Amino acid sequence: MSQALQSRRTARGQDPTPRSSLDADAVRAAYRRWAGIYDAAFGGVSAIGRRRAVAMVNRLPGARVLEVGVGTGLALPHYLPSKRVTGIDLSAEMLARARTRVQQRRLANVDGLLEMDAEAMAFPDDGFDIAVAMFVASVVPHPRQLLAEMRRVVRPGGHLLFVNHFAAEAGPRWWIEWALAPASRALGWHPDFAPAALFEPEDQARAEISPVPPFGLFTLAHLPN
Amino acid sequence: MSDAKHEPQTARNAPIDPRLLEILVCPLTKGPLEYDRANNELISRKAGLAYPVRDGIPIMLPEEARQLED
Repeated sequence: MSQALQSRRTARGQDPTPRSSLDADAVRAAYRRWAGIYDAAFGGVSAIGRRRAVAMVNRLPGARVLEVGVGTGLALPHYLPSKRVTGIDLSAEMLARARTRVQQRRLANVDGLLEMDAEAMAFPDDGFDIAVAMFVASVVPHPRQLLAEMRRVVRPGGHLLFVNHFAAEAGPRWWIEWALAPASRALGWHPDFAPAALFEPEDQARAEISPVPPFGLFTLAHLPN
Repeated sequence: MSDAKHEPQTARNAPIDPRLLEILVCPLTKGPLEYDRANNELISRKAGLAYPVRDGIPIMLPEEARQLED
């Protein structure tokens, strides 16, 4: 996925110009290739982060939940039945797997699965109580635009949650990042993704940030809207 | 499309959940959408686009939408 990385780096360098469709196409192509083995290859290492984020969603008030980058729907069975979940993703192949999961597990609280660009959502303002984006922020071409859209579709007083790998500022985590680098590239992440790429300084100061095992490789960030 | 309603309902032409319709807007204009049941499309008059619904999943991407003729 060096091509995807390349195009995203170019796009980020040019922020805030609109990205070319090539970026979305490259990300979509990566996930089309990975859809079949995503759960086996990545489901394990990301499981704790996913569980923590869903547990936090379940504890927060409000029933209307948006999962941005729902993928194959790995998180969907873990939401409380009282949470009404809508999931979006850019990859039709991943969504097809999510739909199969919803049918097989009879997840009656999943209101819908939609193919959508997280940076230009087809939802009105203030329609959700909670939006959660797991392993998404470092994949989208313009993370700040993702944040702006999540802010828009969540009501004031609602909650935004992110689980992501953020670059280690210091310490011995580099070897884990190095070990995961091939998978990271394939999934369109980049190991040098810094919190500042997503958050304005005032957001970063307000966000509740907690490390997630294994090895604190992932971070759960909770930002009140 | 006059016999559309006599087609067996397969995954491909599965209609959209009405609850979903209530929470969707055009991703470009953020304006309202109309559901064209016969063609299984979501119409944005303001944008002049018809968003397809495939296998019950609305594709809310302008680059995948059909241009409406006027």
